[in-house]
Amino acid sequence: MPIYEQTYRRHEARGALRRVRFWPITREALRLILARRAFLALLVLAWLPFVARVIQVYVVTRFPEANRILPVDGRLFGDFLVQQTVFSMFVTIFGGAGLIANDLRTGAILVYLSRPLTRRDYVIGKLGVLLALNLSVTLLPGVLLYLIALALAPDQFWTWSLAWVGPAVVLYSLVVSLVMSLIALAVSSLSRSARVAGLSFFGLVFGLEVVRNILRALYHRPETALISFQASLQSLAVALFGLTNRAFTLPWTLPAAMLAAVAVGCLLVLRARVRAVEIVQ
Amino acid sequence: MDEAPLVEFKDLVVSYGAVQALSGVSGAFPSGPTGLLGPNGAGKTTLLKALLGFLAPDRGMISAFGLDPTKRPLDVRRRIGYMPEVDCHLPGMTAAAFVAFAVELSGLPRDEAISRAHEVLYYVGLGEARYRTVDTYSTGMKQRVKLAQALVHDPDLLLLDEPTNGLDPAGRDEMLALIRDISERRQMSLILCSHLLRDVEHVCESVIVFNQGRVAASGRIADLTGPRRAVYDVRVKGDPTAFLTDLKDHGCEWREGEDGYRVIMSDGFGPELIFRTARESGVQVRYLRPGAETLEDVFLRALGEEVTS
Repeated sequence: MPIYEQTYRRHEARGALRRVRFWPITREALRLILARRAFLALLVLAWLPFVARVIQVYVVTRFPEANRILPVDGRLFGDFLVQQTVFSMFVTIFGGAGLIANDLRTGAILVYLSRPLTRRDYVIGKLGVLLALNLSVTLLPGVLLYLIALALAPDQFWTWSLAWVGPAVVLYSLVVSLVMSLIALAVSSLSRSARVAGLSFFGLVFGLEVVRNILRALYHRPETALISFQASLQSLAVALFGLTNRAFTLPWTLPAAMLAAVAVGCLLVLRARVRAVEIVQ
Repeated sequence: MDEAPLVEFKDLVVSYGAVQALSGVSGAFPSGPTGLLGPNGAGKTTLLKALLGFLAPDRGMISAFGLDPTKRPLDVRRRIGYMPEVDCHLPGMTAAAFVAFAVELSGLPRDEAISRAHEVLYYVGLGEARYRTVDTYSTGMKQRVKLAQALVHDPDLLLLDEPTNGLDPAGRDEMLALIRDISERRQMSLILCSHLLRDVEHVCESVIVFNQGRVAASGRIADLTGPRRAVYDVRVKGDPTAFLTDLKDHGCEWREGEDGYRVIMSDGFGPELIFRTARESGVQVRYLRPGAETLEDVFLRALGEEVTS
């Protein structure tokens, strides 16, 4: 059809700038990620421990003598969330590796930044994707498990000292999700290939864990946990949920400070890398 | 049309690290279509990026619609549609979803975004292919989808950076017809950034020419280029000194090419002058082919620079 026969309508209305500008970025990226069956399978897999824990809670509430073997207290939630951290990493790798890398490779970053969006809007939009995915395997099952425990045994609420567990679940899930998301975004912004970014994230997280294990074997000191993101998160879980693991027993301020420093470092990387113009000096 | 310039820049200096891409340029883009012409690396794209607020000037000022893009980038960008030179699409997205997404990023509601996306994709000739993922598109189709995403939120000013890059002659003509239609029938102002004089001529009457980070010329294209002259690529056997001097005496200009000479004939002369001069100078013409005046030929001549080496 010749172009002169085609229509095009002028759009005159131009309202005020949106206050929440990042939402379309988050929504579209989530839609694309959740359209992948393999990813949905991973999410289903990530919820299997939740089912096991619900069964555990149910059994313990029905047969109180089982409470001596499998106590329902802060440790149950702490162990559960530490377990979920592994799924959080895989969800982050599969969902987050290409979030910025693909935009850099395909030039899509220009589509975003030539619009009325700031670099901050862009990063928040992308961060929203990873936070949503991470929280769906940490906060959501954690809070659900807590609510189920309360529903099954409301009379034992104080006995089990569950009152403080709720805020601890929320806090730990948020920290895990935020740290994982920021690391993945920073790594993704350093490459133009989702595959390279994914492998780099994997190498960074699991590689540092290997180094920590070697140092731990050599020096037998819990401070070695600070080398690894995973171990730092575990140290925080030990402090928050009263877990008993000498390898990770540290004052909570140390892993918290380390994770805060990692988060700041990631934000600095994102600030340097998320640009419409790549400046090669 | 409004007489006030849409875009103005004065004494603008922009650097990439130690490299100065724009060295104190001044000029203005009025309403309507204007070409931004220059060889690769002349600073054209840098000017567009400064206009979008991507690059902060080291010195000088730039304004669009009376707004400073470094201070109010969002207000400037919402009124601009940008078609980048480089490929840009979101992997895995259909053209319809991609363009609708681009409108939403510009602040339009989702329902409006979807309806406008379909409309604009039909307009640029991708109506039938709009549900295919952009990854599977040909270069020409990708160029069209880039134009669609720049156009879809109905900007006041369209920035087109090398819109015919990678297109075959037919695709190039179609793209230029589309751009001309946007400008003439839709009354949209645009800046067409290209290193091809023919593209700019097809759409624009006025032009700003950049060269090595400076404004080399600006004004109406016809005034700048003057009448076109015949050009021949020539290879000769023998000492060419006398041949070239004689050509110059006849008012022709020449410059050395990769494998011979490019001779720009003086008005009213054709290839017979080359053969005659060669015979008189004692050299053999081994190769002669009519050429087209390049951007460099036209503007070096228009600017009165020395063409001869």
